[in-house]
Amino acid sequence: MSRIGVFICHCGENISRTVDVEQVAQAARQMVGVAYACDYKYMCSDPGQTLLKKAVAEQRLEGIVVAACSPRMHEKTFRNAAQGAGLNPFLCEMANIREHCSWVHDDRAEATAKATDIVRMLVERVRKNKKLIPITVPVTKRALVIGGGIAGIQAALDIADCGHQVVLVEREPSIGGHMAMLSETFPTLDCSQCIMTPRMVDVVNHPNIILHTYSEIESVDGYIGNFSITIKKKARSVDMAKCTGCGVCMEKCPQKKIPNEFDKNLGFRPAIYVPFPQAVPNTPVIDREHCTKFINGKCGVCQKVCGPGAVDYEQQDQLVVEQVGAIVVATGFKLYDIGEKPKGSAIKGYGEFGHGKIPDVIDGLTFERLASASGPTGGKIVRPSDGKEPKQVVFVQCVGSRAREKGISYCSKVCCMYTAKHTMLYKHKVHDGQAYVFFMDARTPGKSYDEFWRRAIEEEEAVYIRGMVSRVYQKGEKVVVMGSDIAVGVQVEIEADLVVLATAIQPRDGADTLAQKLGISYDKYHFYSEAHAKLRPVECATAGIYLAGACQGPKDIPETVAQASAAAAKVMTLFSKDKLEREPIVARVNEKYCVGCFACKKVCAYGAVEEKEIRDRQGNLIRVVAYVNPGVCSGCGTCQATCPSKSVELDGYTDEQVMAMLETL
Amino acid sequence: MNKSSEKTKSTVTIDTSGYEVATQEIRSEAKRLLTEKIVDAVVGYQGGRRGGSAVPVVITDPDQAEKLVFSAACVNNLSIYLTKAKKEIRAKGKLAVVAKGCDLRALAGLMGESQFKREEVVIIGVTCAGVHRAGTQPGQPLTDSTIAKKCRECSVHIPEGSDLIVGKLPPLPNLSPTEKELMEKLDAMTPALRWEFWKEQFTRCIRCLACRQVCPFCYCEQCLCDRGRPQAVDTSPRPSGNMGWHIVRAMHLAGRCAGCAECERVCPMDIPLNLLNRKMAEELKELYHYEAGLKPVEKGPLTSYDEKDDQSFIK
Repeated sequence: MSRIGVFICHCGENISRTVDVEQVAQAARQMVGVAYACDYKYMCSDPGQTLLKKAVAEQRLEGIVVAACSPRMHEKTFRNAAQGAGLNPFLCEMANIREHCSWVHDDRAEATAKATDIVRMLVERVRKNKKLIPITVPVTKRALVIGGGIAGIQAALDIADCGHQVVLVEREPSIGGHMAMLSETFPTLDCSQCIMTPRMVDVVNHPNIILHTYSEIESVDGYIGNFSITIKKKARSVDMAKCTGCGVCMEKCPQKKIPNEFDKNLGFRPAIYVPFPQAVPNTPVIDREHCTKFINGKCGVCQKVCGPGAVDYEQQDQLVVEQVGAIVVATGFKLYDIGEKPKGSAIKGYGEFGHGKIPDVIDGLTFERLASASGPTGGKIVRPSDGKEPKQVVFVQCVGSRAREKGISYCSKVCCMYTAKHTMLYKHKVHDGQAYVFFMDARTPGKSYDEFWRRAIEEEEAVYIRGMVSRVYQKGEKVVVMGSDIAVGVQVEIEADLVVLATAIQPRDGADTLAQKLGISYDKYHFYSEAHAKLRPVECATAGIYLAGACQGPKDIPETVAQASAAAAKVMTLFSKDKLEREPIVARVNEKYCVGCFACKKVCAYGAVEEKEIRDRQGNLIRVVAYVNPGVCSGCGTCQATCPSKSVELDGYTDEQVMAMLETL
Repeated sequence: MNKSSEKTKSTVTIDTSGYEVATQEIRSEAKRLLTEKIVDAVVGYQGGRRGGSAVPVVITDPDQAEKLVFSAACVNNLSIYLTKAKKEIRAKGKLAVVAKGCDLRALAGLMGESQFKREEVVIIGVTCAGVHRAGTQPGQPLTDSTIAKKCRECSVHIPEGSDLIVGKLPPLPNLSPTEKELMEKLDAMTPALRWEFWKEQFTRCIRCLACRQVCPFCYCEQCLCDRGRPQAVDTSPRPSGNMGWHIVRAMHLAGRCAGCAECERVCPMDIPLNLLNRKMAEELKELYHYEAGLKPVEKGPLTSYDEKDDQSFIK
């Protein structure tokens, strides 16, 4: 006979308003196995917990049911209290009579009856509960950071400064990401490269950071504390150990007219190149698609001129395996390319704006390159079509963003601010020029942000027109922007020299594939999902994986840096212990009855099911059965539901318990 | 069941002379496999006590190969002897098995469920024009009225993918698809009427569990439906337990059963069990474009997740 205590909480009035808690306590006292029952106004408060602990001692209780809120809210609280009273914490269960009962019902009598039934079920469950011991797994104190933009760099530096090794993987030949492409940053107008490049150098010089550029994640195995990552190092065709970064190869490469992606195709680069002069690492890469040597085998100039003999045409893609304990995903964003409607996508494109067809219609990042001192024009703002200085520039906000009918309903968050910045940068360089901005609202929450926007209008004379643009077309040398001004209620047409579109921020291509490799979830736009929108904003639902930057949603630089440091802090928390404690709610295989069909292995989303050989004393193989690795199992119960003979059970949720709960009703 | 076909006394006889050829070829292959010690045992058929009948046999001696036969009486699906549940047969070592096209589909399914590996088994495939339906007197010729229901709609006369294919296929008559017709009749019913139909069928069930014992896919060490604590299904032959058992059976076979219809053949109460299996298979085909048993499949549609899966049921 078990001695179970039932503790019923009023939750202030949240429960007692609709549930007669005293009546529930009285009913509980009659239940089989219940030795004690009481109610209290705030069970989670200090006196409430003291009451519970005292009752355990005085009544010699062997199990506890706390009838209160959701276990998501206070299960941990009461299990700790149970442990404090000397009980195994897993002998304490929550009966949710708030979310599942008082909050959703009006009728007092019916709600009371339902609350009693919920308590009755949990009493049955606790009667069949077993003591469980937390599982400990070792932690590999090395972190993987995916993405070498400002988010990845910040997270990597923070973790590395804390004394842990970091493996930083970047897809492009250089780290730096989008921030390295920007000219100046809002709201202070400080030079982006001036603040970014020293951090990039910090990364390459840091003794704790292992940098893999021009590399991608091939596969991810393992679990929190024990990930095994296979990284594909793409063939750079230049031996990084030998290259001194002298740059002679780039000078001598005869193939010089390849559009420079870093400059948004405004300038040119050779086939052997570094993306930009401050690149880290400063080792060139051969673009095999455009290199004459790789196209027809007839060049080889770079190899001849290379003093240290670093150019290696034979180099192959290489797979490297790294063991890590935590992963920070910081893969960043791309700008919505509105010229074409993406294939098979719900997103509709903006053919009417002529992007990609009219040379003087550009996006925000292209404008950044035009305004940048290290850009293709040396910071001189000119039209891409004829190189003339534009005297009238129209900026269009919310292109793609906040356009439900076009397929994206979210706000890209940074465009209001960077458009205001663009009008200023333009005014500073073309004093007699005029900037117009078509906008829906100006969203400027942030320190000194609204002041910055007001300055663009009041001091730098940008003309803001509240309204949408319907069409953009070429008329002679001019680009005509047709739109509406809803403040005045008229249609407007502006003959512009240059049009800059603030296109939406989207996750990187392939964000979904990476998520599938990592086993993390993403939303319909492919932004990665955090575990809890408010309370766990940097963690993924998958343990040991954290998010930083725009891969989780549009963000500006300060927010990205803050989130990256937060993710780093989470990693360091994980690394602060040698062993990791995990909840022992894991699946267990009945090896006697398992027939080895491995349906459980097929459905396990965590890769927790292994094949175990059973041998006799002579070492002969008898049979192969399933084995659940408790370090990996997340206790989802899918295997239990799948096993045809029910030879696998989830501790704490055994079939026996669930059936007993149902049968007591 | 099968009353309609009994009424129409047909004279369509199916040429089974190819079975003589098959018998000879099976014997010589079995002898060779055992003599050359390629396998340790051969699972096949031998003549039964009553003339013209046949029963499964496991032979380990090359001299016994002469016992093996193949005829229209070779109804059993021998793949059941290869599952891990048949420990004593598996313990004999490497096996060869005689398989008709329908049996081969079960073998493919079992490989997908880790019951054995392809290289562990030699498959002697038999070209099959059809076998007797349950209740046929031994020695009868194979005709429109004695052929099994499944054979009327067979699409796997030649067991492609076997190590060796024996026998030869005679010209086949066009037989009416009686099971398909019954399916269509059931599909046309209202759900309430269909429920009545099955309730009526299951009241007859005596829970002898022959359907389970004969099924190649019911190889669990302990059947969920035999468990007492907690009890999932009432074990006595009463309506609720009968309904529970047959629903569990149908669900556990969804995406696995390839339609050998052994369950229906052995049912002493003539419950048309294969209709349930066939219905589940049709659903699988419609929802996931999946057919069980065409080849060994690592992950069937019910044990894998695909973003493109039908989600219309989530409302």
